[in-house]
Amino acid sequence: MTRLEILVAAAAVAFVVALPLLGSDYLVGFVFTTFLFVGMAYGWNLISGYTAYVSFGQISFFGIGAYTVAILVTKLSFGWPLAVLAGAVAAAALAVPLGWAMLRLRGPYFALGMLGFVQVLQMVASAWTRLTNGGEGIYLPPAGSLRALYFGSAILVVVGIAATSSIDRSAFGLRLRSIGEDEIAAEAMGVDTTRAKLLAFVIASAFPAVAGGLYAFRLSYVDPASAFPGSYEVQVILMAIFGGAGTVFGPLVGGVLLSTLGEALWARFAELHLFLFGLIIVVVLRYMPEGLIPRLRRLAASAAASGRKAAAR
Amino acid sequence: MTPLLEIRDVSKSFDGLRALSHVSFAVPHGKIVSVIGPNGAGKTTLFNVIAGAIQPSSGEVLFDGMSLKGLGPSRTARLGIGRTFQIVRPFPGLTTLDNVAVAALHNERTRSAARIFAREVLELTHLAPFAQIEARNLTLARRKRLEVARAIALRPRVILLDEVMAGLNPAEVDQTIELVRTLRSLGIAAVAGIEHVMQAVQKISDFIVVLNFGEKVVEGAPAEVMRHPEVVKAYLGSRYAGAGA
Repeated sequence: MTRLEILVAAAAVAFVVALPLLGSDYLVGFVFTTFLFVGMAYGWNLISGYTAYVSFGQISFFGIGAYTVAILVTKLSFGWPLAVLAGAVAAAALAVPLGWAMLRLRGPYFALGMLGFVQVLQMVASAWTRLTNGGEGIYLPPAGSLRALYFGSAILVVVGIAATSSIDRSAFGLRLRSIGEDEIAAEAMGVDTTRAKLLAFVIASAFPAVAGGLYAFRLSYVDPASAFPGSYEVQVILMAIFGGAGTVFGPLVGGVLLSTLGEALWARFAELHLFLFGLIIVVVLRYMPEGLIPRLRRLAASAAASGRKAAAR
Repeated sequence: MTPLLEIRDVSKSFDGLRALSHVSFAVPHGKIVSVIGPNGAGKTTLFNVIAGAIQPSSGEVLFDGMSLKGLGPSRTARLGIGRTFQIVRPFPGLTTLDNVAVAALHNERTRSAARIFAREVLELTHLAPFAQIEARNLTLARRKRLEVARAIALRPRVILLDEVMAGLNPAEVDQTIELVRTLRSLGIAAVAGIEHVMQAVQKISDFIVVLNFGEKVVEGAPAEVMRHPEVVKAYLGSRYAGAGA
């Protein structure tokens, strides 16, 4: 790491640790929610950013996490950290057969297949009343303080950054990238694409599951509508793409910026905030479809190149 | 000795359309076999069958005596069959080096080891100066060369070269002929599908198979195949068929 990077990282850690001690409940709650989104964006990025298997259904795992937590806590009186981890394990276990079936579909068919799966799970959650209490939902006992949950969300983000940066630099990451670039060529290069995709899909499933589990505690309530919030799916995808899909810091940058922007617009223009939010996203994607981080990298590279040219002259 | 690759009575139909009809031939270890024939003769279909991208309707392909039946393209690649695509398929957003490193990962455990080997392959294929350029920015001739470089990086025993000469100018064709000869020095066999570039066929081939309308017309050593009346007819028209011999 360069000195600048160490400085930025230290400042970020100081902020994350100091916030719950100094900040208001409102601020801590806002950052908690932002971190949940950033964590989900890291999960989405691993499968959809690197392999270009764009999923519209990662929220399935959010719901699995939420329901696993609710059931384990109310029926088996699990503590919250263990229940949240169990949610991640449940999601990963489901992701194996689901990915095996879904990852045979390509392009829009995969995206729509995953979207359909969300509907299936939502139906199951409504109909399987003995386990989920159907539409009435499950009430959770209060789970410690908001500040404890907040640290859970911060850990989710740290794991997202750490996992993504180590995958990004690994042989596995290069394989995922080759699939995203051209899967048929990757197969001809001997890449076991089925295995690589499935592994990425399984790892990716744990992130929304943890977010869903923490969210269930924050809400103290889980029902089929709150467990599978379709609008969250869209926001997560936008955040990852806005920051830069297939990059290490794209989900963090995109998540923090869009979440802050959404909150600021909501505070200033309560009536128009969704309209303005949508408008800004349309404009940004029109002029910067590759996302913020790749664009900045490109600008820096061309600035360096013209600098070299000027120096040569 | 069993041949490295044996195509045994392979047929392939698409919705009743015969693309290949009872094609058989063998590729000995380390030799270069050219498959020539006009557009639509079935060369690319044949390559797709050998590489496992499509399964034959009947017949089979043997690699080192083992049937490839039911094996997909990534399995055949890992067994030792490299390929290039007629319509090049680089990973456009990856650097030239990483394009090759993806294939090198088959034998190397880590990304850095794969990059080290990939760099050697780039030296060998004269692509080293472009290592850090994204593949989308390479010229067509270099992208075709990159196809071969990636196939070499797999350390295969045979490479299927699908029209690696097509669309190149004479100087680039000469460079590619040089590249194919490099394969021979590496002990890699090759099956080269070539439509037009006849002077290249003469220079690189140990053996030639002629396809037309999905059927094998003739096979043999270059000199005799090029004199064969069917070949002369296919390439020069029936008026010349008698005159050539």
